[in-house]
Amino acid sequence: MNPLSIRARLTLYYALALALTTLLLSGGVYFLVRADLLRQMDTQLSQDLETVSKSARAEPDEMLEVAQQGSITLFEVRSAGRVVAATPAWRQAEIANSPVRVVSGFWQSTGQALRKSKSRNTVTLETTRHRLYYLKRGSVPTPGAPLEVSVARDGESVRHTLRSLAAILLVGFACALGLALAGGYFMAGRALAPIGAMASKAKAITADKLSERLPVHNADDELGRLATTFNSTLARLEDSFDKLRRFTSDASHELRTPLAAMKIVGEVALRDGGDPAAYREGIGSMLEEVDRLTRLVESLLTLTRADSGEAKLSRTYTDLSALAGEVVECMRVLADEKGVKLSTDIADDIHATVDPAVLRQAVLNLVDNAIKYTPEGGEVHLAVRQMDGRATIEVADSGQGIPEQHRRHVFDRFYRGDAARSSETGGVGLGLAIARWAVETNGGTIELAPQNEKGSVFRISFPNKQQEVE
Amino acid sequence: MRILVVEDERKIAEALRAGLAGEGYEVVVAATGEEGFYLVNAETFDLVILDIMLPGRDGIQVLTTLRERGLQTPVLILTARDAIEDRVLGLDTGADDYMTKPFAFPELLARIRALVRRGRADQTLKLKAADLEMDLVARKVTRSSQPIELTVKEFEVLECLMRHQGHVVSREMIAREVWNETTWTAPLYNVIDVHIARLRRKVDEPCPTKLIQTVRGVGFVVREDEP
Repeated sequence: MNPLSIRARLTLYYALALALTTLLLSGGVYFLVRADLLRQMDTQLSQDLETVSKSARAEPDEMLEVAQQGSITLFEVRSAGRVVAATPAWRQAEIANSPVRVVSGFWQSTGQALRKSKSRNTVTLETTRHRLYYLKRGSVPTPGAPLEVSVARDGESVRHTLRSLAAILLVGFACALGLALAGGYFMAGRALAPIGAMASKAKAITADKLSERLPVHNADDELGRLATTFNSTLARLEDSFDKLRRFTSDASHELRTPLAAMKIVGEVALRDGGDPAAYREGIGSMLEEVDRLTRLVESLLTLTRADSGEAKLSRTYTDLSALAGEVVECMRVLADEKGVKLSTDIADDIHATVDPAVLRQAVLNLVDNAIKYTPEGGEVHLAVRQMDGRATIEVADSGQGIPEQHRRHVFDRFYRGDAARSSETGGVGLGLAIARWAVETNGGTIELAPQNEKGSVFRISFPNKQQEVE
Repeated sequence: MRILVVEDERKIAEALRAGLAGEGYEVVVAATGEEGFYLVNAETFDLVILDIMLPGRDGIQVLTTLRERGLQTPVLILTARDAIEDRVLGLDTGADDYMTKPFAFPELLARIRALVRRGRADQTLKLKAADLEMDLVARKVTRSSQPIELTVKEFEVLECLMRHQGHVVSREMIAREVWNETTWTAPLYNVIDVHIARLRRKVDEPCPTKLIQTVRGVGFVVREDEP
């Protein structure tokens, strides 16, 4: 069976709840009214019994007359099983003689059993003519055999009243149920209508129109929260799409540059013609561009693998002090060559759980970057220390710093604060992006410390307790 | 020395044929997996250079059947796939070495030399090029009997160049052999260039014969004659 729609389910739950309530209420009313009617009947029968018994005791010989003319129309007096007196109506109703069905009382039997019983309670019975009577019996002690007195009252009016009541209640119940179904369906429809509207609006939002948002009428109600959540998802999607778009266009541009260089160098070399030295020069120059392209593609591949979670790490408890020391030793020649002072302040025995090869790349990139952007005579300082319970590696340079508007984007792919300086430094603009990936994939953070007067400070930090590696 | 090149990319196959022939190897090129498989069964080769993604039977299948038949010819896989899994699969199947495209031709030559040489002990204690001598045990370098002071890294870079004497060594090879750096993304190129410049200053500047030569766009080479 297909699952019902939310609207249908809401309607059903609603109707069910209302039906149960109505049912309980109707049942209550019915049984209360019935109990009241029966109590009244019982009281009247008791009075009848009292009256008949009194007159039977006082004037037993006139009972026949009483039976003929008295106000009580249904009674019978017996003595030792023989009928002494009975009203005509009693005889006619054949209460005592014909087999009757006991409707209520303690007997589960016919009139025969009824006559034998000693009960003093009101009994409900139905004669063979399908009429309902209420019956009450008593006995009057006399000098001879005691007199058995039975009084009865016609129960048809009670039955009729109860039937009418039941019918009214049933119709009321049916009406209530119908109304509940209709009203519930209507209300559920109204309540769900904004969701339907939202769905069709959301359907219209495609990759090309990610800037559109769902309207939020009341941010605090359930639908408002739904719309808000959806909108923030859209915002994130839009953001990543934008990034992707920018990335693709940046990447194409970066690829185009070495391609253009190769093309022009190749064409010019061919045109010059003949001279092997010129050919060699041209081909060498093209090969350099191929190297640049290769590095670019490799970097992109590294980042793509990082994005798709394919990059595998082998994290171990690593001595960051030693790792940073190695990097500094490796890069020192570059600093020397440029006339930049490379100083260190490396505390002993700073550890973190990282993949050393991957982290090494990050630190290499940071130091390389720092040396690139520090003018001759400047200084690059690398510090490894314990700070606020974290293992920290800081790379500070005395370059011109990074202007406020670029600081947010320094780790973005291909982002270069100053387009002019990109070509002379020769990087592909992915160094810091790779550094960020390398640090974050190892569970660390990388940040550009707040601007100070001298240069920029990049800070990498890791929780330095020995971690369980997944 | 005969080398079988199984490679479907025509340009690469032709370049390999020309380049290897230039180095004095006899080269046979197969353009499909089937052809390569047939040739390796029918003829004798000293080395097979095998692409993985081939039309028809792929490189791994060729290699598997080859090894199942007990052929011990050294196999060098040359492929654009560079995931660790591919590398492991290739080596597990029985390849002797694995190179990813794009590769540097000098490095391919170096690896071919290493594979062909395999089995022979490489116990070089001294390296010599013209009047430049390296004592790998004492870690001493002399040029015309004049001692030259080198830093540890300078010594290792020079050793790398001297071991491949007469052959061009690419920057990636130096990065790998001296710094153990396997990724292209590390900024080691400038570092290597600086070391080469310093080596030149110490080794070549005082002498009329320049031994450390740059091959533009490819790498560096130690040799006596001018190109």
